[in-house]
Amino acid sequence: MEKRLIKKDTLADIIAKMAGDVLVYAPVKEEDNVLFKVLEAGMKPLTRYANTKNAPKNFFFPHTEQMMKFTRTEKGAVFAGGEGKSPEAVLFGARPCDARSFVLLDMLFDQDKYKDPFYIEKRAATTIIALNCVHPPYSTCFCTSVGGSPTSSDGVDVALTELGEDYLVEFLTSKGEKLLKYFGDVKAGDAEVNQRVQIGEQAAREIKSHIPAAEIKPILDVNFEHPYWATIHQRCLACGTCTFLCPTCHCFDISDETKGADGVRIRNWDSCMFPLFTMETSGHNPRPTQKERWRQRVMHKFKYYVDNFGAIACVGCGRCVMYCPVNIDIRKIVEDISRL
Amino acid sequence: MQNPYVPIPVEVVKITTEVDTKDIKTFRLAFVNKEDEAAFRYLPGQFAELSLFGKGESPVGIASSPTQPGYLEFTVQKAGVVTSALHDMEEGTLMGVRGPLGNSWPIEYLEGKNIVVVGGGFAFTTLRSLTNYMIHEDNRKRFGNITIVYGARTPGLLIYKDELAEWGKRTDINLNVTVDKGDATWTGKEGFVPAVCKEVAPSSENAVTVICGPPVMIRFTLPVFFDLGFSKENIITSLEMRMKCGIGKCGRCNVGSKYVCKDGPVFTLAELDELTKEY
Ligand SMILES: Cc1cc2nc3c(=O)[nH]c(=O)nc-3n(C[C@H](O)[C@H](O)[C@H](O)COP(=O)(O)OP(=O)(O)OC[C@H]3O[C@@H](n4cnc5c(N)ncnc54)[C@H](O)[C@@H]3O)c2cc1C
Ligand code: SF4
Ligand code: SF4
Ligand code: FES
Repeated sequence: MEKRLIKKDTLADIIAKMAGDVLVYAPVKEEDNVLFKVLEAGMKPLTRYANTKNAPKNFFFPHTEQMMKFTRTEKGAVFAGGEGKSPEAVLFGARPCDARSFVLLDMLFDQDKYKDPFYIEKRAATTIIALNCVHPPYSTCFCTSVGGSPTSSDGVDVALTELGEDYLVEFLTSKGEKLLKYFGDVKAGDAEVNQRVQIGEQAAREIKSHIPAAEIKPILDVNFEHPYWATIHQRCLACGTCTFLCPTCHCFDISDETKGADGVRIRNWDSCMFPLFTMETSGHNPRPTQKERWRQRVMHKFKYYVDNFGAIACVGCGRCVMYCPVNIDIRKIVEDISRL
Repeated sequence: MQNPYVPIPVEVVKITTEVDTKDIKTFRLAFVNKEDEAAFRYLPGQFAELSLFGKGESPVGIASSPTQPGYLEFTVQKAGVVTSALHDMEEGTLMGVRGPLGNSWPIEYLEGKNIVVVGGGFAFTTLRSLTNYMIHEDNRKRFGNITIVYGARTPGLLIYKDELAEWGKRTDINLNVTVDKGDATWTGKEGFVPAVCKEVAPSSENAVTVICGPPVMIRFTLPVFFDLGFSKENIITSLEMRMKCGIGKCGRCNVGSKYVCKDGPVFTLAELDELTKEY
């Protein structure tokens, strides 16, 4: 695999140049937030930031996505075309946890029998450049408890690591190697890779949150009815912030919109935290209160996903912990469950 | 890549009002394109998303049998947005179907066994599919005795009346149609489904019960079958959960680790025991 060294202060320009050739999604500052956005011509991405507020899943699984068009005829509304081809794109600046989330989402959206072409095509057309964490950006980071690390390469095509005045650029996949031309010709070698390994180990040691996430599955297996579930949801506002910001949450709703004779079928993010999520027309709701919804959220991430795909559906980014308006902390819940 | 979200175009060729309250209709849908018909290979117990552009989609069990080529049938109760729009449709309308979705009644497992079909109300749809499949001349000898207990509240609420009359004429089906309360013209059985099952008392010897109906009916009927010696492996039912995608993506219809849309909707009681009771 190819490796390069670039000067730190050239990175923003390199990415800006890329944005002239392909679609680039990158972190930019908007008011008080750092957000992933499409990098418009002339814009430069941020290269120094903790992490973005929104997860990058939006680019493969948009908050609102048009699935198909339809048009009305005398005999009824008929299909009037699907979506165009997904443009070639680069996602720059994903933290390793967020890059890993795509490996987890692939398991769901890209199964042998049931494939989701909307996700798969955008994912296939996009190259992911990750920015390794030299220091864990937040005290809430817990990637190492859920199978990741500050320098995890899962889901990464090109990995950038800050080494003093330089970035080590590692091209990890053939998709990543297609971007070689942007990164100059200063080759890096084993010494730099060793440095990266050490930085990674040091960063992992700096992680402050450790939770027994990998140990609770057998406990969840036998405690669906445990009284503990009645103790976590009381404060929950059912706002859905946790699920919307979560890089691995994938639930959606499908609905139709009509304008004159034409219309579109769209999908929108949905949330298991919303009361109507499972409400049937008859009024029957299998998850009638926030208690069952919170249990679903925990079970889905730490048991059901493990049952179905052999992986925990959480990358430890800490967004749900930081942005929950009533401070419900999934780390504490996992901790509590481990002691049930 | 074939897009599983794009509906297959179909034309509504026949609409039958099933009940005297007029809120349950059977829609016969014919494929607009011949190749779609060949590709739509299904088994009794599977369902499809009925797709009405501008209104949305609803998951509905396939009520026709694969032994009836040329069309699909769905029996739909008027409930909310999509089902009401369906009920307002006329013959000749174009609409869409996505499917077949889900697993099916376990046909291979049922082969060589005596089959007890128990249905209540309009939840008889995929049981009708199964029955028509089993009694088709090509298939009949693959199954043992067929016993049917089907009930509705009143005679006017029984669905598939013409077909029930046809089945009644056959000597190779033990058909028991019952109503909670008869009317002046009703000459058949009166009584609740559990009571009729007890009276018919099908042997559990080499037998499987497939059962669909309102939750109360199921609750009172199951003990009857346990008493008759049916094991939980040999009582099979079909679940309903709110659905959207139908292919295990939208995250809506899971019961425990299983997605009802793709791992179900058909489960044995033994399998349901393994799942959480969240449905
Ligand atoms: C596997 C399966 C088989 C079914 N078979 C039949 C059948 O043969 N005949 C019949 O009349 N009904 C059947 N239903 C129930 C039927 O799907 C709902 O009555 C219908 O979706 C209501 O939609 P609506 O748009 O009219 O109501 P709205 O209240 O407007 O529904 C909004 C949307 O919510 C979803 N939804 C709401 N309730 C249900 C529900 N109970 N199950 C699944 N999705 C729901 C649908 O996507 C629906 O379009 C079945 C459901 C499932 C899951
Ligand atoms: S559950 Fe919370 S910490 Fe885990 S990936 Fe989702 S937002 Fe991040
Ligand atoms: S962010 Fe907090 S309050 Fe909002 S739904 Fe999630 S747990 Fe509940
Ligand atoms: S209906 Fe979407 S997951 Fe089952």
